[in-house]
Amino acid sequence: MKDVIQYSLHDYVRSHKYFPPISTFFVLILVFYTYKPNPIIDSYAITALFLFVISAWLCLSVLSLDSPVQRQLMILHLGSSYRYYLAKLLTVALIAALLTVFAFLYPIIFNMFSDSVSPAVGFISFVNHLLLAVLGIGVAGFFSKMMMESAINAYGGLVLTIILSIAAPGIENILPASFKYIVWLLPPATITQRPLIQWKGESLSGISYLPFLWIMIYAGIILLLFLILANRRR
Amino acid sequence: MKQLAELKNINKKYGKKKVLYDVSLHIKEKQVIAILGENGSGKSTFLRIAAGIERPDSGKILYAFKNMRTGYVPERFPKYLRFTPDEYLHYIGKINGIPEAILEQRISLLLRRFQLDKWSNRRINELSKGNIQKVGIIQAILQQPELLILDEPLSGLDISAQQELLSIISELKEQKTTVLLTYHEASIFEGIVDQTYYIRDGRLAEEMLTEKQGMKLIETKGFIDSDVEEWKEVLYSEKREDRLLLYVSSKNSNQILMRVLKSGGSIESVNSTDVNN
Repeated sequence: MKDVIQYSLHDYVRSHKYFPPISTFFVLILVFYTYKPNPIIDSYAITALFLFVISAWLCLSVLSLDSPVQRQLMILHLGSSYRYYLAKLLTVALIAALLTVFAFLYPIIFNMFSDSVSPAVGFISFVNHLLLAVLGIGVAGFFSKMMMESAINAYGGLVLTIILSIAAPGIENILPASFKYIVWLLPPATITQRPLIQWKGESLSGISYLPFLWIMIYAGIILLLFLILANRRR
Repeated sequence: MKQLAELKNINKKYGKKKVLYDVSLHIKEKQVIAILGENGSGKSTFLRIAAGIERPDSGKILYAFKNMRTGYVPERFPKYLRFTPDEYLHYIGKINGIPEAILEQRISLLLRRFQLDKWSNRRINELSKGNIQKVGIIQAILQQPELLILDEPLSGLDISAQQELLSIISELKEQKTTVLLTYHEASIFEGIVDQTYYIRDGRLAEEMLTEKQGMKLIETKGFIDSDVEEWKEVLYSEKREDRLLLYVSSKNSNQILMRVLKSGGSIESVNSTDVNN
């Protein structure tokens, strides 16, 4: 698995397709922290949402890197299409993890916050970034080349899903009571925003973990579904 | 001879177009099997299914053992790879679990044999069509596969590379590799092919081996055959649908090939008939 991930990363770097999503992420973070001081938890909650969008973009570009024949050959050499797709997802996860580290450390190193980051706040914020990155990867998998032939449908569908998932709290407010549950089908990208903003950050017991757990379950299910469906479409 | 794989009643369609109809094939160990047919007859689909990289809609593929090493050379090897042949082959070798020392040795030997060593540090997307095809062949044989599948492997190869491929296939066959291949031209493979099958309109036609020993079987199409009986080099002829099968002695085969072409006919295949199975 290590060799395939290395292969994918090497190929991705050579392709230069990483440049648009990664540079966009850096610009977003730099612009976001233009003024200081900033509130710690709220700022991290927003940058995690940025990472959700960027991870989805990264995933789409990594999954579209190989031509169909190249993909077939790699699957043959690996002996399993699950391993191939898993390696691709892990490649994106690795890049997203590096971006998480950047988003986490940048405001600390450059003193962008009003206060120092406590271990509890740092831990929860870091985990929130990672979870939203994984969620973004899972969502993008469904709009990749393996699932959709047309690039317009793929990018259009992904953008629409991301907009809907970020606007979910607003959509929930305007829906009649009997339809509110539909929102639960959307990727829970904003579900941790409210508990994080309301959290004082004093201790790890002062925050509800259910929204984080829901992201884990949702991301796990869609990633598993992606692996199963991608394997079937061979 | 042990059986390596069996394809049973394979059916495949793309959208509404059915490509393969109930195709079955026994693949025995240490054999070179040619699958011939016209463009769009379903050969490549059949090879991809045999390689396990495409799924049939129905039917079964049974391999003699699990995790069989299969090498596959696609009809068009990807030309936009951003690696050098050396880098790409190292990745492929490592993914296949070949130890580093052996891998290094194999890659440099194969690059030399295919005269690719001088290009080994240029990116694949900068190489010529023939050199890209050579990389495609090397990636398939690097792991010394038990089943080697080649889809039009000669495409773009120069004569020396064709000879090298032929000699590698013969060596692999000696090492118990089974080769499944397809080609168009009356090619250099005819001497090493043990069995020939034809795919017509998605159906695998009967085996074209003949009991007539020591001859060449030339399958022709589209020429006036009225005077064939006067061609003294033709020992026996047989009309089959729109094709004419000519049995000629090996030493006269080139002469007949030229004569068929001059008469406006086309050569569908040329096969040796001196194979015992």
